[in-house]
Amino acid sequence: MNRIATGFVLLIMCSLTIQAQQPAAHNDVLIKNAVVMTVTHGIVQNGSVYIKDGKVAGVGKDVNAPSSATVIDAGGKYLTPGIVDSHSHIALDDDVNEATSPITPQMMMIDAFDYQDKAIYRGLAGGVTTSLLLHGSANMIGGQAVVIKHKYGLNRDALLFPGAPRSIKFASGENPKRVYGGKDQLPSTRMGNFAVQREALTQAQDYMREWEDYNAKVKKGDKDASPPKRDLKMEALADVLRGNLLVQIHCYRADELLTEMAIAKEFGYKVRAFHHALEAYKVADQLAANNVAIATFSDWWGYKQEAWDAIPWNAVMSMRKGVRVAIKSDSEDFARRLNQEAAKSIRYGGATDEEALKMITLNAAWIIGVDDKVGSIDVGKDADLVIWDGYPLSSYGVPNKVFIDGDVYFDRSLPGFGMTHYSEGQ
Amino acid sequence: MKNQSRVVDAWPLVLGLIIWFSAAAVAQQKPTVLKGGKLLTVSHGTIENGVLVMQNGKIIVVGAEGSVKIPKDARVIDATGMTIYPGLIDSEDNLGLTEISAEQSTNDLIESSEEIMPHMHVYDAFHAESELIPVARLNGVTNALIAPDSKDTLPGQDSFVQLAGKSSEEMLLIRDIAMPLNFTGDQRRNESWDKRKFPQTRMGMAAQLRQAFLDAQDYARHWADYEKKKNEVAQKPDAKDTKPGDKDKDKKTPTAPKRDLKLEALLPYLQGNKPIVLAAEEANDLQTAVSLAHEFKLRFVLNHLSHSQSVLDYVAGLKVPVIVGPIYEDPKSYERYDAVYGLPAQLYKRGVKIVFASFDAHNVRNLPYQAGYATAFGLPYDEALKAITLNAAETWGVADQLGSLDAGKTANVVVANGDPLDLRTDVKQVFIAGQEVPMTSRQTRLRDQYSGQ
Repeated sequence: MNRIATGFVLLIMCSLTIQAQQPAAHNDVLIKNAVVMTVTHGIVQNGSVYIKDGKVAGVGKDVNAPSSATVIDAGGKYLTPGIVDSHSHIALDDDVNEATSPITPQMMMIDAFDYQDKAIYRGLAGGVTTSLLLHGSANMIGGQAVVIKHKYGLNRDALLFPGAPRSIKFASGENPKRVYGGKDQLPSTRMGNFAVQREALTQAQDYMREWEDYNAKVKKGDKDASPPKRDLKMEALADVLRGNLLVQIHCYRADELLTEMAIAKEFGYKVRAFHHALEAYKVADQLAANNVAIATFSDWWGYKQEAWDAIPWNAVMSMRKGVRVAIKSDSEDFARRLNQEAAKSIRYGGATDEEALKMITLNAAWIIGVDDKVGSIDVGKDADLVIWDGYPLSSYGVPNKVFIDGDVYFDRSLPGFGMTHYSEGQ
Repeated sequence: MKNQSRVVDAWPLVLGLIIWFSAAAVAQQKPTVLKGGKLLTVSHGTIENGVLVMQNGKIIVVGAEGSVKIPKDARVIDATGMTIYPGLIDSEDNLGLTEISAEQSTNDLIESSEEIMPHMHVYDAFHAESELIPVARLNGVTNALIAPDSKDTLPGQDSFVQLAGKSSEEMLLIRDIAMPLNFTGDQRRNESWDKRKFPQTRMGMAAQLRQAFLDAQDYARHWADYEKKKNEVAQKPDAKDTKPGDKDKDKKTPTAPKRDLKLEALLPYLQGNKPIVLAAEEANDLQTAVSLAHEFKLRFVLNHLSHSQSVLDYVAGLKVPVIVGPIYEDPKSYERYDAVYGLPAQLYKRGVKIVFASFDAHNVRNLPYQAGYATAFGLPYDEALKAITLNAAETWGVADQLGSLDAGKTANVVVANGDPLDLRTDVKQVFIAGQEVPMTSRQTRLRDQYSGQ
């Protein structure tokens, strides 16, 4: 009995210690006097957001909050959800491409994740709170992504987005054919690209069949059945075919967007989003019909042949045809000012301010599969919020304070690096 | 034959008509009037409800409605609700030197075989029909300083262009206006160890530059000696009588030194006739480059200074204009996130004349947004606008013609539906030398094609 009691006390002490180390459980903050851009239910003038235990617990003109809550007066500034970057290569220390084979689905970006990279902090200072860190585009099937929250300053695992779905990066077009063609290897053409992709997926079908056969034998009680060899590469592709991975495809040209969708149909998986997709405006109807999103640049063009038909109206033209559109960074620089990139869609095509904001919040969150947790200011969602100096969707918007899970991770008013991690009121 | 002679006979008449028509066209070009807009003159404040009159490529009058007489025959454009400002000037970009970055056949950006290439002239490559030019001017950029890429210490000489015209001849306003001297570290030849090539280090780059300028000085001396001797010979009446084998060989007609285009190209800069555009990012490189410029008494404009925050007082003391940034340059790991964003404001506070540049080709159109963003980090709005108009015109010696809405200047005028520095603003019409530029580009054509228009 004694031993058990002691153990019990120790267990309680342990859990207390763990709780004390998790500030998210403590914050109890009311942000008031803000222009709240919710993304999902309009703009609330003179609005408030109540944060409790790292989540949004109330949002609107009048919000019930206990008198004990710490009050932050936003002074009439704009408040938006944290920005979500649906295509990033930061914090990977240039280990972005395992360009030694065109099919490397077993590459895990988390194994290269450098959680101390200053780029995480600089994105945070630009209002980015969630990023999808992807493999590069050297390979037809590159590797599996990692989803992070920009909690710069904490340890590695604290930056991982809890419960985010797994994503895998495919690529097509010029990059794979250049990388392997340059070495006189397959693929060096678009024909080669897609042949390599189909072949890998076909092998995965065989691999799945072998396991299904084995499992069926075991189920029947066959004690002599010997399991097939486990193959990480094939397992990753099998997960694509089983629908366990969100498929993110780097793809520029209209014809390739169509081919990728046809291959997905042929093998029975879904494409979550096309990345770059600079010619999406040419086949927007088909993208919309297949419920495939795009993560695109606002106005970047001409850097290579397959970016020659890029037009800054791509985002809005595609959106008007029913495509879910996100503006992404794909660059350490753009990640610091995605708000400006999104605002360009107001000028090019006449997006409303809310539509523009959605391109860097809720739509981007959908591409990553975390739209139930982030991307808008709604009760129950993570309290990832940005208070802005200036109007966010203009040349003049600069984050003043950035919250993740209710804690402050960036505060412009602080001297030095202006980064920090603290809970308001503590 | 008969026909031919008739044509020939008719020539004087045809020529006469042509001369008469063109003279009439110049003299009788209808004035164009922009009426009712908000004029951001840059030189003398904002005029609400302004009137701007253009004729024969020039701005004729600028003033408030009521105070300006509108010519009777004028074509009047209602600009009510519009904001009107001078054409924007990009102080460094690569327009006309590239089409598709990754396609080498479309690039004429840099001659990278050697580092000292002052005899490369941007005007020899400038492609007037580039698809990138309409894209840039559709957002109000009307003039640019075109530079080669910066991978050489001395990559060649810049040209100042107007972004509309019938040909490159017409668009190249000033050839060899300035010469970049790049000292950012990127000019080192960082090939692999077994392929190493001089200059691998900053020491190598500096030594190579010094030698080039010394060689050019030598070259100038040889030519000066030659000219002097030639004159002496020409002035001495007995010179012609000097016979071969005379002791006084100096009196003989001297032989001209061999011409060297590379060294010749450096002379206008060594003589201080034209500015060097001195590029450095970090404080140590900046001071090395400035020492070198001082050593050879070069006149210079500074470029970049992205990571020179620790020596801004020193920069101010140099009393030269600075092409700042680009402010989107990533900060160094020891710098605060806004160190480069804030650089324009920090320089302005110290009295430095600043200008902005896109340092790009495809994204030249975004030039005004850089100026706008700098205001979010402390640069006064008027200074930001100046940095892409009048300051730039002054820096490049064209302020008598460009950079502000003033009578007598070239009619490079932009009409937009709002704040020129805000990325939500839509440019409605651009005038270059008084002509309405077609508001179309390869991109608008693609847009219209796929919009079903």
